[in-house]
Amino acid sequence: MWISTSRLLAYLYGLVFAVGGLAASDADTDFTSVRSQFVKNYSGTGPSEPGEKYFQESSFHYHYDGRFANEPLSDKETPPHLSQLIRTYLSTMADLGAETWIMHGTLLAWWWNQKIFPWDNDIDVQISEPTIHFLDEYYNMTEHHFDIPGLNGGRTYLLEINPNYVFRSMDDKMNVIDARWIDTSSGLFIDITAVRPDDERRKDGDTGALMCKDGHTFDENDIFPLRNSHFEDFPVKVPFEYVKLLEEEYGSQSLTATEFDDHHFNEETLVWDSASKRKRSSRRRSAVDLPVRTTPLKYKLE
Amino acid sequence: MAGTYSNLSNIPNISNLGSFDYTTDDSSDDGLHSFDDNQNNDASSSYPLSKYTGPLVDYVRNEWQINPKYASLPTANTDSSDSPRWIQILGSIVTAPRFRRYVVVYLTVLISCWAGWKFFVAPRLEEHAALLHALDPQVKEEMGGWFGANALPRFDDIVQLRKLEPSLLPEESASKSDSSSGKRLVFIGDVHGCKDELDRLLEEVSFNPDTDHLIFTGDMINKGPDSLGVVDLARKYSASCVRGNHEDKVLSLRHNMIAANTMDDEFLDDANLHRGQYTRERKLARQLSDEQAEWLDTCPVILSVGQIKGMGQVVVVHAGLVPGLDLDKQDPYSVMNMLTIDLDTHVPSRSREGMKWTKLFNKHQSLLSDSLRGTFENPESMLTTVIYGHDSKSSLSLKTYSKGIDTGCVKGGKLTALVVRDGGEQKLVQVKCQDHTKN
Repeated sequence: MWISTSRLLAYLYGLVFAVGGLAASDADTDFTSVRSQFVKNYSGTGPSEPGEKYFQESSFHYHYDGRFANEPLSDKETPPHLSQLIRTYLSTMADLGAETWIMHGTLLAWWWNQKIFPWDNDIDVQISEPTIHFLDEYYNMTEHHFDIPGLNGGRTYLLEINPNYVFRSMDDKMNVIDARWIDTSSGLFIDITAVRPDDERRKDGDTGALMCKDGHTFDENDIFPLRNSHFEDFPVKVPFEYVKLLEEEYGSQSLTATEFDDHHFNEETLVWDSASKRKRSSRRRSAVDLPVRTTPLKYKLE
Repeated sequence: MAGTYSNLSNIPNISNLGSFDYTTDDSSDDGLHSFDDNQNNDASSSYPLSKYTGPLVDYVRNEWQINPKYASLPTANTDSSDSPRWIQILGSIVTAPRFRRYVVVYLTVLISCWAGWKFFVAPRLEEHAALLHALDPQVKEEMGGWFGANALPRFDDIVQLRKLEPSLLPEESASKSDSSSGKRLVFIGDVHGCKDELDRLLEEVSFNPDTDHLIFTGDMINKGPDSLGVVDLARKYSASCVRGNHEDKVLSLRHNMIAANTMDDEFLDDANLHRGQYTRERKLARQLSDEQAEWLDTCPVILSVGQIKGMGQVVVVHAGLVPGLDLDKQDPYSVMNMLTIDLDTHVPSRSREGMKWTKLFNKHQSLLSDSLRGTFENPESMLTTVIYGHDSKSSLSLKTYSKGIDTGCVKGGKLTALVVRDGGEQKLVQVKCQDHTKN
């Protein structure tokens, strides 16, 4: 069935007003209502049943939030945006006393040079179940403004919790991501997944079993106690058995091979250089422009 | 045997067989003699020797040729007519007792040769080839790199590398006058809180705090009865130490508990879901005083001891080192946990499956030694000897470039000290331990 653009727009307007009215009535916000700049919603629709999937990926790139951008950033702009994205997230969680740590591709990037991979705009972090309850209770849909050196006006970030996080089953395949930390200036975001006790495996006697809704399972002793390190020149926590976890997930060559796609790891400068672009990566280990929070935090996890 | 000479039946007497009686009727029917010398001794005189005038051999009659009784001798193979001749020959060879004896001997030799090859020589040759292949720089190219190419991550509360105060090192040459006055380094394997055994070991090595320096290979604490006592003893003697996986766990937990404000209240552990199931370690983390924990926190992951005669550059770690990698590029988690190493990528692992890291390390050092030999005057000083613990399953493991001295004290094994004195002279001292895992 084909719907004309104008009809679709009219429909969307109607939806926005309807939702806006609802939001005004019970002072609650949800996914579509937090659009600030764009009239049109650039969110793509979920693959099967729309409405069931809470977080939407943009229609132009799977790693942008279509409510805050209509096109991806240039290759040059992306890395600095991502750096500030993870720093502001880590800073916020540290200020709240909320336990979070990096995982998957981000942990591998940390292994290599404690910087985000230049070819990857996916950032994976995990939080524990008590933490997501706390964030949902006090900080869902909160905006956090940061001053960023050399950037006029700073940036505002949005913490959004997927209300489906309370369903603790891997069967909820539409809502495997439990929360997002979104850069409202670019639409870039961090996927946040909650790590929960795996009740089914625990019933079978595996007392340390953990799971995420994205299908990953862990053991308590592989993650805890967390270690304190640095990522993008910011304090970060990493799982206790980081080598074991990385080797299991990506194989031993992921820890050693200095070639990836068209990138080469320069063992002198400790930076991934792009081979095809014939230029040294701009991501040098240079002076750090750390973000500074301006929005006060009211509640803390103690 | 004598019975085969039955055809000598009619020879009554032969001078050197004088005491025997060969009677005619005795041999007539079956050719067998009666050697009943008791009965017939006297009778020999009844056959006068004069009866035979020529040599005795002339009187020999081949009775088997004449006597019809022997005309059809039963043959061994009655079916000889059916089978071809070569089978008969083969059959007769096989049934010969000497042949059977040889078959048994040769089979045993052959099987032991095969087993020796299969279970001893071939695996060693294969291992040798695999180790050489693993250290081949061309393989590094093919694999895209070896472990350690990355910018090593740093951890806030972990000291990567420390150097031992050089004045503590034993002298280059052995002290001649009095052996007890020289300086000694006493390397001690995993103590795991076995304080009594540690006291006895120090007694056994006649520890003298003025001249001797203690160096612990990590895992001083946890599992055993008196971790705090061991830490206090080490502090009292200003001992050196390295961070073991047990120190790492307990101290990491302690830092996190302090940060989360759960040090004073153990009931908060249960409220804080999934923080590792380390009940015993948490308990120990709470028992440690700030001073004790701070002292343990200063234990580096790698302790560079310095040059010792006969050992080259001596390094102490808890679990192991990746060969060919600078000490400040060694991943701390791996140094505290490794048992094996991947031959393609040199990624170490805490799993027991695979090649032991010591094998690759020793091969690497011996290749290095070979390549240095022609070019340098004292190649030994450029080689590294690792003293380590952690691997109590393999127990004592003394190789050229690696000395494993965890002998499983807490499990009722032994506590081992490697004593190095002036001149680089090494001595092992061990005491037996009580099994502390049972209670």
